[in-house]
Amino acid sequence: MKLLMKLCLVCVITCFSFHASAQKTKYKCLLQMSNYMGEGAYVVVSLINPKGEYEKTLYVMGDDKEWYNSLKEWYKVYSKRPTDISAITGASVTGGDRSVTTFEIDNTKVNKGYKLRFETAVEDQQYHVDDVEIALTDEGLAARTEGKGYIRYVKLSKSE
Amino acid sequence: MTLSVWRYAHLALALFSFIFLALASVTGVILAVDAVRERASPYRADNIENISLTETLTVLRKAYPEITEISVDHNQHIVLQGVDANGDDVEAYINPRTGALSGKPEKKSDFIQWITALHRSLFLHEAGRFFIGLNAFLLMLISVSGIALIIQRQEGIRRFFSRIVKDDFAQYYHVVTGRLALIPIFIIALSGTYLSLVRFNLLPQPKINHEVETVASDSPSEKNIADFAVFSNTMLSEVRKIEFPFSDDPDEYYVLKLKDREMVIDQFTGNVLSNVQYPFTALLETLSLDLHTGRTSIVWAIVLAIASLNILFFIYSGFSMTVRRIATRITNKHKPHESEFILLVGSENGSTLRFANAIHQQLLANKRTSFLAELNNYAVFPKAKHLVVFTSTHGLGHAPSNANKLVSLLSKNTQTQSVYTSVVGFGSHAYPDFCGYARTVDEVLARQPWAEPLVTLHTVDDKSPLQFTQWVKAWNEKTGLSLTTAPALYNGVPEGLRKMHVLEKTMVASNDETFLLTLKPDRKTVFTSGDLLAIYPDNNGKERLYSISKSKGNIQLAVKLHPSGSGSRYLYDLNPGAVISARIVHNKGFHFPQPAPAVALIANGTGIAPFLGMVEQNKKKTEVHLYCGFRRRTELIQRYEGFADEYMQKQHLKTFNIAFSQEENHCYVMDLIKRDAKFFVNLLAVGGVVMICGSLAMLQDVEATLDQICIKRFGAGIATYKSSGQVVADCY
Repeated sequence: MKLLMKLCLVCVITCFSFHASAQKTKYKCLLQMSNYMGEGAYVVVSLINPKGEYEKTLYVMGDDKEWYNSLKEWYKVYSKRPTDISAITGASVTGGDRSVTTFEIDNTKVNKGYKLRFETAVEDQQYHVDDVEIALTDEGLAARTEGKGYIRYVKLSKSE
Repeated sequence: MTLSVWRYAHLALALFSFIFLALASVTGVILAVDAVRERASPYRADNIENISLTETLTVLRKAYPEITEISVDHNQHIVLQGVDANGDDVEAYINPRTGALSGKPEKKSDFIQWITALHRSLFLHEAGRFFIGLNAFLLMLISVSGIALIIQRQEGIRRFFSRIVKDDFAQYYHVVTGRLALIPIFIIALSGTYLSLVRFNLLPQPKINHEVETVASDSPSEKNIADFAVFSNTMLSEVRKIEFPFSDDPDEYYVLKLKDREMVIDQFTGNVLSNVQYPFTALLETLSLDLHTGRTSIVWAIVLAIASLNILFFIYSGFSMTVRRIATRITNKHKPHESEFILLVGSENGSTLRFANAIHQQLLANKRTSFLAELNNYAVFPKAKHLVVFTSTHGLGHAPSNANKLVSLLSKNTQTQSVYTSVVGFGSHAYPDFCGYARTVDEVLARQPWAEPLVTLHTVDDKSPLQFTQWVKAWNEKTGLSLTTAPALYNGVPEGLRKMHVLEKTMVASNDETFLLTLKPDRKTVFTSGDLLAIYPDNNGKERLYSISKSKGNIQLAVKLHPSGSGSRYLYDLNPGAVISARIVHNKGFHFPQPAPAVALIANGTGIAPFLGMVEQNKKKTEVHLYCGFRRRTELIQRYEGFADEYMQKQHLKTFNIAFSQEENHCYVMDLIKRDAKFFVNLLAVGGVVMICGSLAMLQDVEATLDQICIKRFGAGIATYKSSGQVVADCY
C-alpha cells in the first residue's frame, strides 16, 4: 500500500515537472572574461522584469557568501528574500578565463521586455551593475554581447 | 647579556611576528593535512602520461554529445563539463580510458574554505593579505638568521650537522629540530613571499594574448578530431585544461592549456592558430603554489605539516629561552670604582649568571660592596680586594660571547693594587673540552702581576649546586666570609619532580637512630645505586640530598634521625602509603664501576645505603669487598649481616668486614683497612676501585690511611688514583 502511494507520488511529481519544463528552454551561456588584474570576479546573472526589478536569480559565479554584498544592487534584493541558490552557484571567474554555464528561461518571458543582467564585482575593485545586459528577445539571445567591465563578451545558445 | 647581532635580529623578528606566525602555522598544518587527504583521493586517474589526448577525446566524444571543457587538476583528477546522452548537465570526474563517471567533484568544505581564508588574509581582506605576506618575508629572514646562529654556534658550516650537547630541553630541541626544519621552513617562507608579491602585482605578469586571425574557412569540411596531430602528440599528463568551441562559429576554437603554454586550435582543421609560452613568472608562480601547498606530493605535504608544527614549537622554545635569559639580568647597587668585591661573569645563556648572582646577593646582604658584571666589562677597579670570575665555555674551549674581549682588556687595564683572584668554571663533561675557557682565564689571571690567586680553579659540572658549594666552602675559608654552603640556595627551580610512594619504613631503636626507608618511584624514573634523592621537606625550596640504592626496582635509603634535622624528621614521619614529591639527582661519579677487576666499598653509618643496592645489582659477580664501621651491633646491623650472608652465597659479595667502635672488636673501619693493607695496595695496583660513602670525618681518615699505605708501598699517595677515578667518594 505504502509502495503504491509512493509510486503515485513519483508519478505526480514527474508529470508536474515535465509539464513545467515544457514551457522552459535551457540556454548555454558562454562568459569570456577580459584580461583584468586581480582576484576572481563574482558574477550574478539575473532576470530583470520590464519594470526594471529583479525577478529571478539565474546563476551565481562565486561561492563565498562573504563577498555577495559586493554585488550591491542584487544583494539589496537577495538579502531581503534569500532564496536557495546552492544549485545554481559555481566558482568565480578569473581574468582571461571563460566560463560556460546553463540556465533555464521561461519561454513566456521572451520578447516581453525582460532583460538578462550580468552584474560583476572584484575584491577591492570597481563594481559594475550592468557589465552586460541582454534584451530577452530572439535577436538578443542570438547575438554576441560585449561587456563594459570585467566581461569581454557573453554568448548564449539554446541547448537541445 | 651581550646578544650577537644574529640573535638580536632573530629575536626581534620573532617578537614582531609570532602571533601571525602561530596563526599561519596552525592553519597551515590543517591545510597540509587536507592536501594529504585530497592527494589520497580514490578518483585519481593512473598513468595519464601514457594516454594521448586523441585517445581520450575519441572515447569522450562518443559518450558525451557536448563537452564544454575537460580539466586535469594537480591531483590527476580529470573533470569533464558537458552534457550527457540524456541531455543532462554533467560535471564529474571521469575515467579517461572508458569515459565512465567515477565521482562528483567535491567542493572544499566550508571549514577548509574558512581556514584557507584565515591562512591567506586573516579575514582582513587586503590588509590581512599584506600582513601575511610581510610575515612570510619575515619568516624568511628568521630562517636566515637562524641558520647563521647555528653556524655561529657550531663554529662553521662544516660542523653544521655535528653533535649538539643536550643541556636544556627548549634550547636543545630548538637547535636540533631547527637544523632539519629550517630548509622546508625557508621554502615555505620563500614561496609564500613570492605568492604575495604576485598577489600584489609587484612582479611583471604579462597576460596571455592570443592573436588569431579568423580565416573565413570557405569549406568547413569537418575533420575528425581523431586526426588532429596536436592532440595525438599531447599526453594527458601535460594538460591542464581543454576548452571546447562553444558553437560552430569559425571564431570559436579549441583552447588547449598545457603546463607550460597555451594553444588555440582551429575546430575544423586542427591547425594550431596560436601557441604562446607562459612567462617565466607564471611558471614560478605555479612552482611556488606547489611548494607552498604540497598539493602535488603527499610526502612534501607531510613535510610541510611537520615544518608548520615545528614553527609552533620554535615559538614556544624560543620564548622560553628568552624568558630565562631576561630572568637572569644583572642589577647593581654599587658602582664599579667603589666596590671591594668584583664578580665577573662569562655566560652564554644566563645559567652561570644565576650562581654569580647568588653570591652577589649574599655579599650585598652582608653589607659588602659587590659589583656584578660581564667579563667584557673588565676595567680598572681601584677599590677591589677580590676578583671572582664565573665563566662557562662556549664551543670548543672558547669564550662565551660576553667574555670574548677579556684577554685584550686584561693587557690594557692593570689593577693598581694587589687583588685576590678566584676562578670558577662551569661546563659539562658531555663536551670535549670541559671548562676549557675557565682554565684559560685562570692561567691568564695568574700571570697578572697584581693577581694573588686565593683558591685554586674549581669546576662545576652540569650546574651542580653541590659542586659549586665546594668552591663556596673553600672561598669562605680564605676570605673569612660565611656564605651559605647549602646547595639548595644555588639551585634553580627544581625540575623533574616525581611522585614517589612510601612502601616500607623501619622504626628507630633506643640504641640506634637509623632507619631504612623504601620508596616506589613511577616507572619513568631512571636511577641506580649511588644516585642521590633530593627531597624538599619545608616547601621553601631547601633541598636535602640522600644517597640511595636500587633494590628490586625501588629506592632505598638509610637515614639517621637527627633531633633537629628537618629532612630526617620529615622522612621519619612518613608512613607506608604516603606519597612525596622528590627528584633523582644523577651522580655519575659514584656509580658502580663497569668493568673493574675488584671493588672495595667502604662505609660508616648510613653510608652503607648505596652499597647494598650495588651488591644486589652485581649480577656480573665482580669481586666486591664491603668494609663498614658502626657503633654497636643493633637490629639493623643484624639485618645488614643477613643481607651480606645471602649475597655472599650468591657470590655477589666476597667478604663483609665490620668494625664496631663501641663494642666487640672496638675498632674503626680504618683499622680494618690497615689490617688488609696488602689487599688495598694490590687492588689499586691492578686497577681496582675504592668507593667511600659516609661521614666527611671518616672520609678524611680513610683517605689518610690509604695515603699512608700507598706511600709505604709505592712511594706516592692516592692523589693519582683519585684523579683517575679509582678512589671515589660521596660523603656528607
